[in-house]
Amino acid sequence: MPGTMRIVPLVPNAKREEAVANETPLTRPTAKSIASYVAKNIAKSPMMEMSHHGPAEIVREAEYNGHKIVVKTTYRIEVDGTPVTGHMGVSNDGQVHYHAVPNMSFASAIDLVKVLIDTYPEDFPAKSGGKKGRGDPQGDMGGMDMPKMKKQAAKSAGNQG
Amino acid sequence: MAITRPNLVNGATARQNYAKGVKLLKNEFTGPKTSDFGIPGPPVAVSTYDLFVVWHHVAMMTLTPPTQMARNSAHGGPVFLPWHRFLLLQMEMNLQRVLGDNNFGIPYWDWAADGQLTTAKQKTAAIWKPDAMGGQGSPIANGPFTQDQFRVKIESNSNNQLVQTDHGLRRAFGVSGAAGLPKRANTAVALNQTDYDLTPWDSTSNGFRNFVEGWNPPLGMHNRVHVWIGGDMLLSTSPNDPVFYMNHCNEDRIWEAWLTKNGRTYVPDQAAPASLKGHRIDDQIKAFISGSTTPRQMLDVSSIYVYESLTV
Repeated sequence: MPGTMRIVPLVPNAKREEAVANETPLTRPTAKSIASYVAKNIAKSPMMEMSHHGPAEIVREAEYNGHKIVVKTTYRIEVDGTPVTGHMGVSNDGQVHYHAVPNMSFASAIDLVKVLIDTYPEDFPAKSGGKKGRGDPQGDMGGMDMPKMKKQAAKSAGNQG
Repeated sequence: MAITRPNLVNGATARQNYAKGVKLLKNEFTGPKTSDFGIPGPPVAVSTYDLFVVWHHVAMMTLTPPTQMARNSAHGGPVFLPWHRFLLLQMEMNLQRVLGDNNFGIPYWDWAADGQLTTAKQKTAAIWKPDAMGGQGSPIANGPFTQDQFRVKIESNSNNQLVQTDHGLRRAFGVSGAAGLPKRANTAVALNQTDYDLTPWDSTSNGFRNFVEGWNPPLGMHNRVHVWIGGDMLLSTSPNDPVFYMNHCNEDRIWEAWLTKNGRTYVPDQAAPASLKGHRIDDQIKAFISGSTTPRQMLDVSSIYVYESLTV
């Protein structure tokens, strides 16, 4: 039987409902409980709907001096004629985001796609003159001759690395 | 009684047990198959370890709300830290289970300590030794997770879809846009943030969460560590690399240091608009391998675990 750890912070005079809300209920997993939860949750998971195919409109909104600003952008990206179908994101500071490289942001979609080509060499077979990509310590993310990215990296290097 | 999560450099036994536990979970199959998750190809059993990989990817692809791309159910917003705390707890309990040791704690990697080294020495720091996580390569050439012992079986492709694969673990230090690891000065700046998070609650926000997640400044702390390691750590399926958990354990430690300093507070509260659903204090954090939790329930875990040190 799975054990349960119920952690209730000891707050003097706390209301009961507040204490309940603060509990940290953690049930120790078993192989059986994992299988059971996965079976139950797959049915209601949105995961199969989450591949974000095709061009999608990105909507950015902001308020300024009582005005409502709405900016709508649609990307259609191809590499060697093959569409890149995941949805892009653009934050209000103009940086482009993409889940396939989730820890980076880019000054432009072109910069992003260059990194995609380097990060996913299986999806973008090397052309003659191409450089090595992800996972190769000798690779240098060859397509990433991105002034803004390098500027950012250099800026970050100054206070980070 | 709370367990202690050790600094990996001080815990040889913990390091060995971690590697052992990861491989046990990698070889445990409880029933789910790739087809259950819509992954193309012949149905193949998914290990317990790889269920965490799928969970992380699915959470990343679950937009909150679905009309925007700035926040997902685990990243780019306030829930980033409690979501990963819950993930770590679930992984830790599964490691305890397969190791038969309820006192096991995931070791943390104090990457800011390594960030004080020269960029050359960062690549040969203690964590990358053969008796720890092994080094870099495509695939990595030494340590407990070489290709004959550990295979990446599920990963994302360039269109954000999960696909089957079969290759050894890949790392490439410092070549993907981040030349060096974060430093002590960066963690100090984060700890000095008095606000946990601020409007607009995304990658453009000020506040502690966004400093730690690494959008402000760009390519900062957590993001920088992923990018610096490179290889499989660059993808939405980054939990494929066991180092993922040591990295997030350290971010959780930094959060614990912040909570200790500033009080166990969290924003936004439940009165925040529905557009922030998934990030408010009593919203559900969903897992498909367990029951759910909430950010509030992740605020005080001090009777479950503590860290060897909160000096970050």
